[in-house]
Amino acid sequence: MLKNPASCVLLLSLLLTSIPLTWAIEPESHSDVDINNPIALQEATRVLAEEVKLAARPQTYVVIDLVDRAVLIKGRGVELHRFPIERWSAAQLSEASGTFRLKNRPPVIRRKVDPAAGAEQPPISLDDMPTEFTLLFSPSLTVAVHPSASDDLWRWLKFKVRQWWVWLKDWSLILTTGHAPPPHASIHLTVTSDHAQSLAWTVTEGMPFLLRRTSLPPS
Amino acid sequence: MKRVTWSLWSSLMGLLLLTVTQSSGLPVTNASTPQPIALEPAMLHALQARYKSLSKQLTQLMPAQPYIVVDTARNHLYIKRRDQVMLDALASTGSGTILDKPGEAKGQWIFDTPRGEFVVQSKLINPVWVKPDWAFIEEGQAIPKSQADRIEPGVLGEYALGFGKGYFIHGTLYTRLLGKNVTHGCIRLNDEDLKSVYQLAKVGTPIMIF
Repeated sequence: MLKNPASCVLLLSLLLTSIPLTWAIEPESHSDVDINNPIALQEATRVLAEEVKLAARPQTYVVIDLVDRAVLIKGRGVELHRFPIERWSAAQLSEASGTFRLKNRPPVIRRKVDPAAGAEQPPISLDDMPTEFTLLFSPSLTVAVHPSASDDLWRWLKFKVRQWWVWLKDWSLILTTGHAPPPHASIHLTVTSDHAQSLAWTVTEGMPFLLRRTSLPPS
Repeated sequence: MKRVTWSLWSSLMGLLLLTVTQSSGLPVTNASTPQPIALEPAMLHALQARYKSLSKQLTQLMPAQPYIVVDTARNHLYIKRRDQVMLDALASTGSGTILDKPGEAKGQWIFDTPRGEFVVQSKLINPVWVKPDWAFIEEGQAIPKSQADRIEPGVLGEYALGFGKGYFIHGTLYTRLLGKNVTHGCIRLNDEDLKSVYQLAKVGTPIMIF
């Protein structure tokens, strides 16, 4: 039917160009997932299933990726912003699956416009946001964000003292009553001051968060 | 005095030591993460297939057409198509300040740019600003009774793109303030970038603000 080689080439080219682009680019949501590692794959699949549900709605959401050691702000599956996690530690992470809704955004002191004063009030900026704060979620999850020692030694020390106090209270409870406190998932994230402020700026009340856990020890 | 200093010093060292040692203790690093599992090859294949299927679903949810991203912390507006940046514009977004509503004990306006996902709902040429109540109160003026007294032409630039609840992407006379959080919630751009946004965005174009 197509005896002319030029026609064959033309037809083949047409066929090739009509293949949808999505066939050529096989999407890999977590590029670092070893699909032959059942643990990593199971966790990545769980997070992906949750993310598909979130991305189907018009909203922004946050993924705390302990595997990639990054916090990602996303919408419709698109990565809008990302910053690295310097260090993290966690407790009871096995409890932390599903989507978590932020109860309250970190407090910020807003300046009030005073029409009588006449002078313009300076706007709030990233510098006004806290560098150390705790995010509480429903269902129960606590994410404590604080700057590294090199970034802000005083705040880091304050955070460590608080962390030590919680630990002491938990052990006192175990020693006096013989019962451990109820399991509660919590994560401590060490990030730079800038990134902590950036997260405090971005999060809103009710914002969904996902957590991608790792089987590797905290770092 | 020496004893007091010594006891303070040893308390501090003790505290630091505890701080360091407790990090390997039970409550804090009990990072009970996904436990090792053994999967049959067939189950692993099924899991791999589900992962690929979900990845594809997520890709299909990503906007295929150009979309707008607004970074309110760094005051930038981007137009992107997939991962490609088509426009990177300096913007001004909400100041975050508050203004009390007169006559209302707890009522107040918060001048934030809303965060989340929106869509372009309207595209206007030569828009006029219909000044809301807060604009008069902020300037210490009385709220006019006539609608005509609220209209102020020539302050929003040549174009405006509405994304709901009175919020717009529009131009500005105060281009020196671009890059700063100074607005009442709208997103301001310079004339050139505004024209590009007007040309690239359609009604229905997603706007993701964080």
